[in-house]
Amino acid sequence: MLQYFASLNFLTLVKVLPGDIAQGLIWGILALGVFITYKILDFADLTVDGSFATGGAVTVMLILAGVPTPVALLAAVLAGCLAGLVTALLHTMLGIPGILASILTQIALFSINLNIMGKANQAVSVDQYRLVLSSRFNPQAILSGAVFVVLIIAALYWYFGTEQGCAIRATGCTPSMAKAQGININTMKILALSLSNGLVALSGGLTAQYQGFSDINMGRGAIVIGLAAVIIGDVLFSAILKKRQNFAVRLCFVVIGSILYYIVIGIVLWLKMPTNDMKLFTAIIVAIFLAVPYLKERSRSSFTRAAKNGGKQNA
Amino acid sequence: MLDLNNVCKAFNVGTVNEKCALSSVDLHLEDGDFVTVIGSNGAGKSTLLNAVAGTWPVDSGSILIDGQNVTGLPDYQRASLLGRVFQDPMIGTAANMMIEENLALAARRGKRRGLRWQITPAEREQFHERLKELGLGLEDRMSVKVGLLSGGQRQALTLLMATLRRPKLLLLDEHTAALDPTTAAKVLELSDRVIAENKLTALMVTHNMKDAIRHGNRLIMMNDGKIILDISGEEKKQLTKADLLQKFAEVSGNTLENDRVLLS
Amino acid sequence: MKKSVCLLLALALMITMTACVGGTAAGSSASAPSTASAQSASASSAASASAAASSSGSASASASTSASASASDTVYHIGICQLVQHVALDAATKGFKEALIAKLGEDKVVFDEQNAQGDSATCATICNQFVADNDDLILANATPALQAAASATSTIPIIGTSITDYATALGLKDFSGTTGTNVSGTSDLAPLNDQASMLEELFPDAKTVGILFCSAEPNSYYQATVIEGILQGDGLTCKEYTFTDSNDVSSVTTTACAESDVLYIPTDNTAASNTEVIKNIAVPAGKPIICGEEGICSGCGVATLSINYYDIGYAAGEMAYDILVNGADVSTMAIQYAPKVTKEYNADICKELNITVPSDYTAIAAN
Repeated sequence: MLQYFASLNFLTLVKVLPGDIAQGLIWGILALGVFITYKILDFADLTVDGSFATGGAVTVMLILAGVPTPVALLAAVLAGCLAGLVTALLHTMLGIPGILASILTQIALFSINLNIMGKANQAVSVDQYRLVLSSRFNPQAILSGAVFVVLIIAALYWYFGTEQGCAIRATGCTPSMAKAQGININTMKILALSLSNGLVALSGGLTAQYQGFSDINMGRGAIVIGLAAVIIGDVLFSAILKKRQNFAVRLCFVVIGSILYYIVIGIVLWLKMPTNDMKLFTAIIVAIFLAVPYLKERSRSSFTRAAKNGGKQNA
Repeated sequence: MLDLNNVCKAFNVGTVNEKCALSSVDLHLEDGDFVTVIGSNGAGKSTLLNAVAGTWPVDSGSILIDGQNVTGLPDYQRASLLGRVFQDPMIGTAANMMIEENLALAARRGKRRGLRWQITPAEREQFHERLKELGLGLEDRMSVKVGLLSGGQRQALTLLMATLRRPKLLLLDEHTAALDPTTAAKVLELSDRVIAENKLTALMVTHNMKDAIRHGNRLIMMNDGKIILDISGEEKKQLTKADLLQKFAEVSGNTLENDRVLLS
Repeated sequence: MKKSVCLLLALALMITMTACVGGTAAGSSASAPSTASAQSASASSAASASAAASSSGSASASASTSASASASDTVYHIGICQLVQHVALDAATKGFKEALIAKLGEDKVVFDEQNAQGDSATCATICNQFVADNDDLILANATPALQAAASATSTIPIIGTSITDYATALGLKDFSGTTGTNVSGTSDLAPLNDQASMLEELFPDAKTVGILFCSAEPNSYYQATVIEGILQGDGLTCKEYTFTDSNDVSSVTTTACAESDVLYIPTDNTAASNTEVIKNIAVPAGKPIICGEEGICSGCGVATLSINYYDIGYAAGEMAYDILVNGADVSTMAIQYAPKVTKEYNADICKELNITVPSDYTAIAAN
């Protein structure tokens, strides 16, 4: 036991943080996309697993074809919007329940992504192409990632304060009221799903550049990570800032949730856990994170405490 | 203002649960009519309102609001002509959004929603004034999320939202049914005031006979998807509950056996 | 609050410690860090929380590999990034470790063995860890691991293994055997024209060949394309049958069996995990399968031109030793291929399908 603790090098943990933060920022963009559909529109959107890989595929193939990277990323965003549009149309035009519509799109995207890449895995080396960020240079990756995140949060804060954005929020909150106020909720769903998947595809494009390749399965489980980030961010937000409910700050916390998730993975790797159990320990640590605010509240007001106080009075 | 011509609507056609909710309903409302609609459960009152609002398409017949044929328009496209207050206080307002945001949404009913900022300072002033008129103290809490308000406050807010832009027709669907007697009275009084001040045409569904007699200038009673009584003017003012029950028995050949209606 | 939080943390710590103790007892890799740190722990007198003190000990050990310390005192830190738990990949890792332990001695090398659980994004996180640890060398086992490692560092030498084609993995044009960067390694490509010849030798009357593999695996796609070209050049009709993952293996295999005389499966990881399913469809249908490697053949195939994953792992280990101790330049080291290939056959399945194999084939030993 002592040997185990002695073998852990705290300095290493500090050195590995930049990589985790960079990945957390990039996946934070995906978390923002999931936030839009899950929290604002109240729609369980599993298209994310597919559109993330679509973003990666489109970006890499365009970069390999000689297209400048920013343009490739823009194309990836449009591809993601298209994927979201398909899900929305399946749901609104064909009446397919939301979650099923998103699963159908996700399944279809697997084939589409294979066709885009031509094969299951495509490398894009930072030595040969000008990439926006790469795991080779983590501090710069953090900077680029942060720039993207700040711009996106600013844009979202503005958009959801406009008339259209408010209409989307109303649609997600109370569809009947939205309809009574003349809002076409189908159009709102289409807008929200397109926007969300566009962000997810952007995140996929950045991830592909960061890790140096795009893989057909890179989106597998992305919705889980996105939801974990959203929920971690939400829990921390309500725990730390109880009164002030600023939307922009809330979005920041979503990205912070993503960064924390990746730091947790980094910690688990640093702890040199048996490799098979990595996911188990990640889940345990995330669960502890989420439980702390709840338990803190419980300590202040709970039935056991009430019973204790009530008992004292009787005695 | 409102014309329903031979409107029919049946649910679950072809199954064991088939029900003809509206059968050949003809109704004509003049400008400024405040009509109360009464009847037992399953009579078709809410169905009538939903048909006018456009929640679903009718099977046959036509609906005209202020001369405009809206039979083929879905609810959100008719919304610019209508104001609506629902029975459930929760679904008339967006709980996650602030009072002023809800009002801003209502202020843009029927208008194209673009990328301008959702609420201007001038509008805020205007909302402040309108909320003051409600007399519920909401004007000081405009940045509060609607989910924190009580049911009565939410209904009052929904009413204000429905009349913020003067609607051609105001639809009130048992809007006090979920409230306690004091709040219900207050909301009803508010409804009267708003309708009178703005000279609105209104259709109010209620299960409460006393309210139906006391409010409005015209009373309609429905049974089995048909309008069986239509009383207005002086005759309505003199009406009592007993009169209504007798009239009902005459027309329908049954006695009205709904406790809720009888005992209220 | 403090009580409940403490309880939870204690519980988590207990679980982790039990797991670690279990891991330490089982794996040989964990014993290396324990001996290395035992030396530094004896030097510093503090108790468990003295990570700082021991870090100075091990940090200097890893940082000064090429500098002042003499070669006999250096302990090498090797990071192993394996894509997924899998018989062939595990064998390659085992070969690699045993080669280094044999050449360097068990107390001179520390392995940080990580498994990405099949998630290619995790490879990037793992490789970041290795770079932060300032490891002396990285072993990348499988294509996404190689790509993530190449992206994460251009200075730490990277040895790949279980990778079929380095040119496609790294996106290199005009590949002639050396990458020119900090990457080299061993390849698991068995000579595909010899495999094609084996198929034609055993089944001279076959007209159509069905090639079965997972669409998500680039190595399989590469082998399928190449062998298709060879077989078609020899006058056979070929068709590809791809499944997306374990879930549609059976339906795709059924279709492939119905439409082909003989099947071919390359070194496909998903097929390797589903040989039972494939066997239960192909054998009753009477369709023989030529496989790209021994593991798949012993599960569902008739014959294979086998390379041994342990062997290529071992060769990778020898390359690593060359780089670490002899100072060989990784960018000039050519990709090495399997040292020997054996013609093997699966006796049980051959008997069930009434196939007789020539005498130069070795039977696969039953496990």
